[in-house]
Amino acid sequence: MKIISIYEYPLIQDRPVKKKGLGSKPLATLSSFLKIKLLIVLAFAVMFFSRTPAMAQEKKESSIEMAYFKKADLTKWAVAIVTAKNTDGKFIPAKNARVSFYIQDSNELQLLKNVYTDNKGKALVQLRKEMPLDTGRAFVVVAKIENDSLYEDANEKIRFKEANITIKLNPHDTSRTATAVVTETGKDGTEKPLKDIKVNFYVQRLFGSMPAAEDYSVNTDENGEAVFTYAKGIPGDTAGLLTVAARLDDNEQYGNVENKASTSWGTHLMVEKDPFPRALWEPYAPLPLILTISTLFGGVWLTYFFIFNQMRKIKNDKQVKTGIEQKQ
Amino acid sequence: MVNERLNLEKEIETVREDCLKPTRKWGRSTKIWIGCLLIVIAWGLYCYIHQLRAGLGVTAMRNYVSWGLYISTFVFFIGISHSGTLVSAILRITKQEWRRPITRSAELLTFVSLLFGGIMPIIDLGRPDRIANLVIFGRVQSPLMWDIISICTYFVGSSVFLFLPMIPDMALCRDRLTVCDTRFRKFKKWLYTKMAIGWKGTKSQWHRLEKSMTVMTIIIIPVAVSVHTVVSYIFAMTLRPGWNSTVFGPYFVAGALYSGSAGVILGMAAFRKLYHLEKYITPRHFDLMGRLVLALTLIYAYLNLNEYWIPAYKMATAEGHLLRDLFSGSYSIVFWTLQFGTVLLPIIILSIPKGRKPLMLAITCIIIVLGAWVKRYIIVVPTLLHPFMPIQEVPGDWSSYFPNYVEFSVTAAALAGIFLVITLFSKMFPMMAVWEVEDGIKIEHDKQRAIDIRIQREAEEARSRALETDPGIQPIKPDIIIG
Amino acid sequence: MEKENNNLEKPSNRRNFLKVGLIAGGSIAAGTLAISNILSCNKKEGSGVKRTVFTQDGKVYTTDQSHLQDFEVPPVSNDEARKGIPNKKFVMVIDEAKCDGCKKCTEACQKMHYTESDREWIKVFKMQDANATAPYFFPKPCFHCDNPPCTKVCPVNATFKRQDGIVLIDNVRCIGCRSCMVACPYSTRFFNWSAPIEQPELEGMTYSPEKGIPRRMGTVEKCDFCPDMIRQGKMPACVSGCPMDAIYFGDQNEDAVTNASGVTVKFSQLLEDNAGYRHLEELGTEPRVYYLPPKNRKYPKPDMNNIDKKKAGKPVVKDLDMGNMQM
Repeated sequence: MKIISIYEYPLIQDRPVKKKGLGSKPLATLSSFLKIKLLIVLAFAVMFFSRTPAMAQEKKESSIEMAYFKKADLTKWAVAIVTAKNTDGKFIPAKNARVSFYIQDSNELQLLKNVYTDNKGKALVQLRKEMPLDTGRAFVVVAKIENDSLYEDANEKIRFKEANITIKLNPHDTSRTATAVVTETGKDGTEKPLKDIKVNFYVQRLFGSMPAAEDYSVNTDENGEAVFTYAKGIPGDTAGLLTVAARLDDNEQYGNVENKASTSWGTHLMVEKDPFPRALWEPYAPLPLILTISTLFGGVWLTYFFIFNQMRKIKNDKQVKTGIEQKQ
Repeated sequence: MVNERLNLEKEIETVREDCLKPTRKWGRSTKIWIGCLLIVIAWGLYCYIHQLRAGLGVTAMRNYVSWGLYISTFVFFIGISHSGTLVSAILRITKQEWRRPITRSAELLTFVSLLFGGIMPIIDLGRPDRIANLVIFGRVQSPLMWDIISICTYFVGSSVFLFLPMIPDMALCRDRLTVCDTRFRKFKKWLYTKMAIGWKGTKSQWHRLEKSMTVMTIIIIPVAVSVHTVVSYIFAMTLRPGWNSTVFGPYFVAGALYSGSAGVILGMAAFRKLYHLEKYITPRHFDLMGRLVLALTLIYAYLNLNEYWIPAYKMATAEGHLLRDLFSGSYSIVFWTLQFGTVLLPIIILSIPKGRKPLMLAITCIIIVLGAWVKRYIIVVPTLLHPFMPIQEVPGDWSSYFPNYVEFSVTAAALAGIFLVITLFSKMFPMMAVWEVEDGIKIEHDKQRAIDIRIQREAEEARSRALETDPGIQPIKPDIIIG
Repeated sequence: MEKENNNLEKPSNRRNFLKVGLIAGGSIAAGTLAISNILSCNKKEGSGVKRTVFTQDGKVYTTDQSHLQDFEVPPVSNDEARKGIPNKKFVMVIDEAKCDGCKKCTEACQKMHYTESDREWIKVFKMQDANATAPYFFPKPCFHCDNPPCTKVCPVNATFKRQDGIVLIDNVRCIGCRSCMVACPYSTRFFNWSAPIEQPELEGMTYSPEKGIPRRMGTVEKCDFCPDMIRQGKMPACVSGCPMDAIYFGDQNEDAVTNASGVTVKFSQLLEDNAGYRHLEELGTEPRVYYLPPKNRKYPKPDMNNIDKKKAGKPVVKDLDMGNMQM
């Protein structure tokens, strides 16, 4: 199964969709005759496309998978991935499925939001800061497909408890050790450490979090602490700064929970001394090339100027003509 | 003695009149010819304006074949422009006397084909309106920039090279304007006076002219070689199969010389026939030029061998695909026709003395020139149709190329432009360097006189010797020996 | 996180997105402006949607989207677009084992760049190196070579190599000589043979070499690694559009690449473990795009007997009044 994650930058950002090409403005360059022709074509095209193809189709069997995320900025998200059965009987991502997210508040479902799935069948919604909790101090989110024109009804629900991760570290610590403390908020507001929870350690990179090592999981002890030592030589920025992250991934009880911290454990990135050297592919040419070309053509042009000067002298010749046979 | 002097002056006078005659009158056929050329040019211009407005999409060029007939023609015209340099400069340097009647037409051909050759890439530009960017943002690393620099240099050089030997002739035209017809007299007078740049024929003027000519003759040769080398670099500097070749510079230069000197012969033949210069441009000239073209064709054939045999022996992946297409694929008929018909066949014809007779030579040269043009096309287009990435799932017209009417019309207009400029030039200025031919006659005359004097003296010496020693022996007639 | 495309209640967000796109790609001033706004603005309730903002000095800030929407800043200046993002070296890794030839990358790219159907900035080839070897799908974007044959031959510096490794085209400067198209051994470049088809959504859009739109007749275009998206902290359209997670993208300086699912892996490790290679290495162009060989493929291999040289799609070339007839 595909990994469900929203920590990264996963989604295609769709550009605003408008009718392409044959828009409101006919091609200015076309002659008026062609314009009329185009309009006729356009009219047919509109007639053709305005019919909804889904009307005639049968609804596809669909299924929903769900996940819960709590990010480092403490925002909470629910994700639903919708798949639908294709003609081969395989489940493939279902796009443009209308997913309704509900929050369960004491046996009552509250509609949170309706979201359409993207090309990968993914729909996500931000949850409230304070979620209504049930007797087990857990919250429930339900995702449903109801009366969708393309897909059969389906529903899925998740139930998670809230956990927090705090990262304890000394940013200038040369041993590069990070301690993640996993706790659960109790009824009275106190933080209760959680034992035997798998914590994964990551390094923040430009487009996502990278596992910090091949074995990047540590289980918490009775104090709720997981200790991880970052390797030497992880590339940082020019100042050697590095953002590290600790996460619960797909925890059965707590879902996905993340926290981040900034350290100076990275190696310093060497700033390019001259990002635009004199080179054949750069704007400025290598000096030998310039020298060669200017010498070669400079020499030729100097010769030309010598000849221009001779011509000038021929023109300004003061000698008196003694006869056409002057030349020997 | 006085008689001889008179004969010489008479002869020179005939030369002058023969040379100036075409500039005196525009015949009816000339007018029709110019009219036809103007029609072709007008239609080409219309097509070009159409191309400007609608974009290069009106040509048959597409994304794979993004250079087509225009660039091939550019290379061809620049190649033809090598004629003037070679024939004129090399023959001048080696002091070949027979060069005298043909240098002018060779130099003119250089000038004109370079002019239109230089226009071809501009026609090929997608945004000719931004041509100033070449000056504002010019990058000296670009082979195209080398082209621009060296073509400009060569153009200035060949203009000077054409102009220098014209100065005394312009003075002649200026001085003999009275014989000219009345129309355009004012204009002609102004033009000739300007172009004669105050030529009086003084000793120092002759001296300076000779000096300039010597310098120009030497400097123009490396410039000409550089031009065609650099033209080949716009291809050879890429990684494309077929172009990625170190022999491309010499290959293009050889191809240029081969087609260019053939072009000169065609010019010679045309002017000889049209302006009745049979007296000056003789079968001997054709024979000698034929030998020259033969030598150049052999060099060109040798470089062809290098260009195709070396990669064909190895058949490296991408190159192999291209060569297979050339040797036995869709371009094979054209390719082998070019190799056998325009390289091997001329070698055979030109090796036979009869093949170097004016008519036969002219026909051979037409074959050579046309062959060189098609050859440029065969160098440019098939390579572009054999990129490293396979051509898959593209619109139909991307994967093949044949020039369409726009390209043919514009190219024809450029060719017509060449003919037009040559025609106008020959109707304005003498097509032979009058003073050079005069010099030739004088030298010949002087030589003849020297011979006569020597014969006379030797005969006298022999007679006196005979009288002194043995009066019974008859005087001996000496052999004619010329140093 | 992005949710605009999922948004039902707020269609206006689509418009907002564009604004954010603009600000995120803003100049130094814009970057500082945006940040200072966050620091000072407490009145405004955040939407909870975080945006990553790239400033000119290469710093990354995360901020609430709602704080960014008020600004409308033009895209980066031509000078900035020519310099590129400092201290970055973008690389792409394409896993042939994962590619099933669905061409979703091409679709995403064409949508992102409003490309006409005949131009595939990233094109999926069906390749087979020899008769006996396994055929494979080969998505090919621009390789953004470190020894680029194309920028070498440009006479006017209209196509150029940036410090972040990206090769771009400035279609305001391009004179249309097509030297670069001829020089590119990978047939990556496309020419606007005729006037681009007018699209209403492109109206009033400010041109930047980083976006490549609006197009101009008589100039060259090609894959640009979506630098305007990178400035917003997002990956190129083809990468995030790949349903098979076959394309990875990242910063070589960070030694990390990320795929569409957000899986980030060590770039050097990925190449080492999978015997990564570059296409036509022998040409010496030093591409910034790496390939992983099609080993242990999960999808059916391409049918090499069924390759169309021609596509049904019509070429987008317009003619004014004369028929574009072939002689």
